[in-house]
Amino acid sequence: MPKCTIDGQEIEVAPGTSVIQAAEQAGVRIPRFCYHDDLPVDGNCRMCMVDIEKFPKLQIACGTTVNEGMVIKTQVTSPKAKAAQKDTLEFLLVNHPIDCPVCDQAGECYLQDQYMDNGLHDSRVEIEEKINKRKVVDIGPIMLDAERCVVCSRCIRYEREVTKTNLLEFVNRGGSTQISTYNGGPITHEYAGNLVDVCPVGALLSKDFRFKMRVWFLKETDSVCPGCSTGCNMTIDHRDGEAYRFRPRRNVEVNKSWMCDPGRDLYKMIGPDRVTTAHRFGGAVAPASEIVHEVAAKLQAAGANSAFLASPRASNEDAFTFKKVAQAVGGRLDFRVGNPQDKVNVCKDEILQREDRHPNTQGLLDQGLGVTGVEALLADCKAGKVHVLVLQDGSMLNDPGVAEAAKGVPYVAVMATHQGTHLINAHAVIPVAMWAETDGTFTNFEQRVQRFKRAFDAPGEARPRWEVGLDLLERLGQPMNAASAGDVFIEMAVATPAYADFTHRSLGPLGKSLATANKAQASA
Amino acid sequence: MASNVITVNRDTRPGYMPIIYGMYLTLRNMFETLFVKGRSATIEYPEKKRNISGRYRGVHLLTAREDGTPKCVACYMCATVCPAECIYIESGERPEKKIEKYPTRFEIDLLRCVYCGFCVDACPEEAILMSRENDLVGESRAELIIDRENLMHRGKLAEVGRGYHPTDHDVRRPVRIAALERLKSEHGIVPQMPAARR
Repeated sequence: MPKCTIDGQEIEVAPGTSVIQAAEQAGVRIPRFCYHDDLPVDGNCRMCMVDIEKFPKLQIACGTTVNEGMVIKTQVTSPKAKAAQKDTLEFLLVNHPIDCPVCDQAGECYLQDQYMDNGLHDSRVEIEEKINKRKVVDIGPIMLDAERCVVCSRCIRYEREVTKTNLLEFVNRGGSTQISTYNGGPITHEYAGNLVDVCPVGALLSKDFRFKMRVWFLKETDSVCPGCSTGCNMTIDHRDGEAYRFRPRRNVEVNKSWMCDPGRDLYKMIGPDRVTTAHRFGGAVAPASEIVHEVAAKLQAAGANSAFLASPRASNEDAFTFKKVAQAVGGRLDFRVGNPQDKVNVCKDEILQREDRHPNTQGLLDQGLGVTGVEALLADCKAGKVHVLVLQDGSMLNDPGVAEAAKGVPYVAVMATHQGTHLINAHAVIPVAMWAETDGTFTNFEQRVQRFKRAFDAPGEARPRWEVGLDLLERLGQPMNAASAGDVFIEMAVATPAYADFTHRSLGPLGKSLATANKAQASA
Repeated sequence: MASNVITVNRDTRPGYMPIIYGMYLTLRNMFETLFVKGRSATIEYPEKKRNISGRYRGVHLLTAREDGTPKCVACYMCATVCPAECIYIESGERPEKKIEKYPTRFEIDLLRCVYCGFCVDACPEEAILMSRENDLVGESRAELIIDRENLMHRGKLAEVGRGYHPTDHDVRRPVRIAALERLKSEHGIVPQMPAARR
């Protein structure tokens, strides 16, 4: 473990750590363009110059490995390093169009940030003298503006190392260097959104987010992508109860800094076509409490002649209260519609996506929600043995098998997020919140329990599924001592030994892996 | 905690003189207004109007380019700085590549606006300015949320003239220079531009 001194502060780092990483650990952010935590080091932007004792010249912090006894002075203590960084920035800005007012990157732009930190120079180049490059080039899901580019090659390295598609490359030389796709063709892979995040400036911008919102208005909430069983960590950027975009949140053990485009597009699901009021068969609106009471009464009457279908889209907390409700009346219980458990660990591509398009199949398996077997449950429904069927997700009715079976049940209660024709045959529709509107946890394919937080309120009367579950339990005469998702999680951890060590708080922002926790326990 | 305590002497009695003086002022103004021409304290609004400052901050206006499109590039600086949060902007794409963005909606809620002029200060394109119009009336609240077209074609602008603009230093300059000189001569202070903050 080499020890080094950064700005007078002694720090011990892992072998092989670069100076830029060591400084980050010491709490000093060295300005950079081309260095990215999850991309190979290139060292071309020359922005991260630091002064290292016994080196005759300034060194780049990203390409220099920390050695025992190194004495490093960053821009904070070394005027020489600060001057070098300032001059590098001035060179990078020579041909920059300074069109921040129309640039979507404004507010999260490395050029802007580092100019305000370190630059503050007046331009020596008139705007008319600057070299003009291509602007507003449409390359599929991305808008390319070569004038804003600082030629850091992050996008090129991303294409080479992560997606292995090599769609971007430099063309021309010297001051006219710019990035381009082959013949200006589109980016075709499903990981284009990462190019936008990787780009430190406004050269690559998302066409979807283009001109929608200025980023400084957006609030960030830590969340987990519900798109598949990988469970990529992400941030919901939202304003006034509306999500504007999803961005990957770095978690080296799950998704690094990446996220797929289908996952990013899920923000569009949150707003429109939501169920905001509880209603009965035929769309007769009634207060949600009345409908829940009615469902509870029907369940009490049906007893063991009831059936429950949980959803692998629901969080662990949702699933636990649902299971409790099923146990309270002794009904049939399962969740494996379409057999997601077979696909939970099957990769869809070589990067992130998995075949199972539900976020929490593993969590439901861990909790043992697959009891009756879906086939048997649906067969009983068809045969008329089931008097009440409760579905945890309205979209399950899109499955032909479930829809067919539901026709044979005299009373179908559905917790639904989105409106649609599939809800026509439901006798009670309870509006519920989506994952962005409540706290909870998902367990991903490798049994990593990850927490997501509430970003904004659910529309109308919609409540989290776990809250509806608690409501039903209370009306069934078996109340659970819980007032929040965190409380439900504690109850769940008591009932599910694998989760016993965890609470919402102890999971932290990056989640914890059950597999490693259990392994540690076994060895101890 | 000890603090500076000021003892006020309330024992002296002012006598009747202040009351008599106050009555004199009131009566003088009354008789002047009634009988002496040109000494009236009121004006016959709206036929006559008071002269207002060249830097008056009245109803906003949006300026146009030569081709009639708004100068505004929808950078949201005004909406960001606005303390009353009365500016609502939606942006769209302009076919011109040099200036790719423009406001498809630009609305100012004049009932929320506090006429502070920060939006004019913040604008990088001199797109939003203030007129000297100060007598706007409406019959409903909705009427006073004025949209882009309305802001671009302020009918009364020719009549009332443009108001506050941050580059209009002419009004302030003599005062400011005098103040700076006094600072230097009396206190030896030469103010520096404040360092930019993040």
